[in-house]
Amino acid sequence: MPSALSLIYYFFHPQELRSIIQWKVWHNPVHERDESKECASLKRCFYFLGMTSRSFVAVILELHPELLVPVALFYLALRGLDTVEDDMTIPLEKKEPILRDFHNILEEDGWTFNDNGPNEKDRQLLVEFNVVIEEFKKLKPAYQTIIKDITKRMGDGMADYCKNAEHDANGVNTIADYELYCHYVAGLVGEGLTRLFVEAGLANPMLLKRPELMESMGQMLQQVNILRDIKEDYDDKRRFWPKEIWSKYVPVFEDLFKPENKDLALNASSEMVLNALSRADDCLYYLAGIKEQSVFNFCAIPQSMAIATLEACFQNPDLFKKVVKITKGDACQLMIDSTQNLQLVCDVFKKYTRKIHHKNNPHDPNFLRISITCGKIEQFIESIFPSQPKPVESSPASAEAEAKAKAEANAAKWDMIYMGVAVLTTITIITGSMLFIAWLAGARFDIAFVQFKQQMGQLLGTSSFNSSEVASDHSEL
Amino acid sequence: MTDPEKYAPSLGKVLIVGGCGFLGHHIVDLLVERHPQTRVFVLDLRTNSNRNSSSTVSYHDGDITDLDFLKMLFSELRPDAIIHTAATHFTAVTKEIMDKVNIGGTKNLLEAAKATGVKAFVYTSSASVILSPERELINADETFPLVTGKAQPEYYTTTKAYAETAVLEANQKDSNLLTCAIRPAGIFGEGDVQLLPPIMHAYFNRQTKFQIGNNDNLFDFTYVANVAHGHLLAAQALLHPYKMLPTAPLDSERVDGEAFFITNGQPVYFWDFARAIWHECGDRLPLSQVWHLSEGAAWAIGGLLEGVFFFLGRKPKLSRAQARYSTITKYHSIDKARKRLGYAPILSLDEGIRRGVQQLLSEWDQQKQKKSQ
Repeated sequence: MPSALSLIYYFFHPQELRSIIQWKVWHNPVHERDESKECASLKRCFYFLGMTSRSFVAVILELHPELLVPVALFYLALRGLDTVEDDMTIPLEKKEPILRDFHNILEEDGWTFNDNGPNEKDRQLLVEFNVVIEEFKKLKPAYQTIIKDITKRMGDGMADYCKNAEHDANGVNTIADYELYCHYVAGLVGEGLTRLFVEAGLANPMLLKRPELMESMGQMLQQVNILRDIKEDYDDKRRFWPKEIWSKYVPVFEDLFKPENKDLALNASSEMVLNALSRADDCLYYLAGIKEQSVFNFCAIPQSMAIATLEACFQNPDLFKKVVKITKGDACQLMIDSTQNLQLVCDVFKKYTRKIHHKNNPHDPNFLRISITCGKIEQFIESIFPSQPKPVESSPASAEAEAKAKAEANAAKWDMIYMGVAVLTTITIITGSMLFIAWLAGARFDIAFVQFKQQMGQLLGTSSFNSSEVASDHSEL
Repeated sequence: MTDPEKYAPSLGKVLIVGGCGFLGHHIVDLLVERHPQTRVFVLDLRTNSNRNSSSTVSYHDGDITDLDFLKMLFSELRPDAIIHTAATHFTAVTKEIMDKVNIGGTKNLLEAAKATGVKAFVYTSSASVILSPERELINADETFPLVTGKAQPEYYTTTKAYAETAVLEANQKDSNLLTCAIRPAGIFGEGDVQLLPPIMHAYFNRQTKFQIGNNDNLFDFTYVANVAHGHLLAAQALLHPYKMLPTAPLDSERVDGEAFFITNGQPVYFWDFARAIWHECGDRLPLSQVWHLSEGAAWAIGGLLEGVFFFLGRKPKLSRAQARYSTITKYHSIDKARKRLGYAPILSLDEGIRRGVQQLLSEWDQQKQKKSQ
């Protein structure tokens, strides 16, 4: 039941209410999962998918049947890995080998893990991980290879971060470290998914030849999450904003949250926004390579949400007080616009790009670079969907051509005049000779003229009415 | 800025026409820095300003409307390449002078070049040659037609377009001369007299409180060193295939006979560019205090001011042309230059603004000090 507060909110924002209703009423899934054909272990896997993922479950469940199970299991495999890595109650010497070996665990019949702390929210997934393994082994070998490869590389990356004590103590140092971290937790997912899409024939194989595009898909999502979650992460004693960025504005990380540093903190956040935003054009380019609707939706929805979140966080002091979220109405509108075609997604990107541009502060050190990045996104959209037809009219290319064109126009004008005179002369001569012949034959033009005048008078009204009456009197006499 | 791997140590003998002008002297400087073994000649009407001190550069006074003089000079210097940047002022001279210098002068240079065996000719055109009052330019490329004659309100632009045509038509015609044209958009930088000074004056006259239009119009501005870079790449590209002319390049790779847009490749919202300049000058006015004037209102006020000031015999601070110029979208695609010239801007917009504004500020400061002494 919606709260009284939200009722009041929607009363003043009917557009958002409309979006919510439209999405709930009119959205039809592209594909629907057929539960009747699923075995017990697969049903259990989908149960875990719903339990562990809030944002991705809906889009995964609508995926093309060919990819539904592989993507769901890919998600659960990485979620399992993440649950081991996240758990601070597991000692490093125990954690590291599991992380580094997780790709082999995916093939180890009956493997389960009961040593997660009691507060780890997804611990039940690992307790029953055997169902995931059972289903994983039923996948096509090509899909298994891809999922295993990504799991291995992500496991190694996570293990390296866990071992890196400095990272735990001070958070991320340089921008390069920050992007490397995002690569491990999101860029790799982008790569794995892209390989699955291409393997299934649902995306253009060229996407694999431009790896920076799929990297940008993951980077943008992860960077937006890190940007938005700064307060929550800070409360959990974790820091993902790179020191290289925030130290330009404040000497110690804690200062970002002090009210007196509001402007400095906003400048730091706008540099974070800039970094994420610079990936946006790549993301649109990537989406152009998707061939199937459900895969397009799967990729486009999170990306649209990301740019909208970016806009909500930009120049927003609340970022340092709470988790900034887009409203539910906006989210529904974004989902409606992201589940149709690339042009609508481009419109969404353009809309939020301009909103960001309008909030851009000239006295922020990142001002012009943000403006340039916004311009780059707009220019990229223009390059795939030009809003201006190519002009076709032509001007003279040289003074000689101009003089020639002028002379030609002049000649054409006189041609017209000569032609007109000739036509008029011909008509006059013919009409004149016809009238003359008629007159010779005894035509009475004077009577014809009087009658013409009368009839015109009747047609036009009263002035010659009397004369016609006079005429009728005459006939009685 | 120099990468010895990429650039030949020498381009032979290069003549820069207009090499003491704003763009010209930046080309000379970059040429000396990048191709140090090149012999550089500068031809200008007056060569006493913007001089490069390198011993490889020599300066020659002269007028490009004098064909006999040009032929004599060229047969004495025997340049391999000519970079022609000279043109009249945008508005301050009569149409006849624009014709004589911009079109006639260019044709003279071409004729003298053909007669003396020059191999390459790079002409500085303008991105405005495709700008018409009826339409904006949204990511426009080189396939857009020229806008000249009756359709072109700026006579200067018509003469630039006609001269460009003459240059491109001279390519491989009756000689081995290879030609191309560079079309820069919105040049600014150190020594700038057209773009930065009026924007900076607006700040010192406290006009930053106003903004015309909603500022969604993207605009191309180009830092002068990037334009110079584009010219040198073009000269190098023309000189390079000349060595092996029998194997003609593919049509899609050709540089000779072609025009290229050269910009920073970073279109920005018009007023953002102005605000970045004002900030560099010291402006700290919060965005929330800026008055937004709609396009139509500005146009009307501009017209009114123009009328009133006409009677007073002065120029108003807001004219209809300015109102239009600050609200149109005008940016270009530089894909052709990227692909065929290997062009990429060497300096970003923010660094360009910083350098250009700081140089002008210190120049004005010196002038002030001189006056007060």
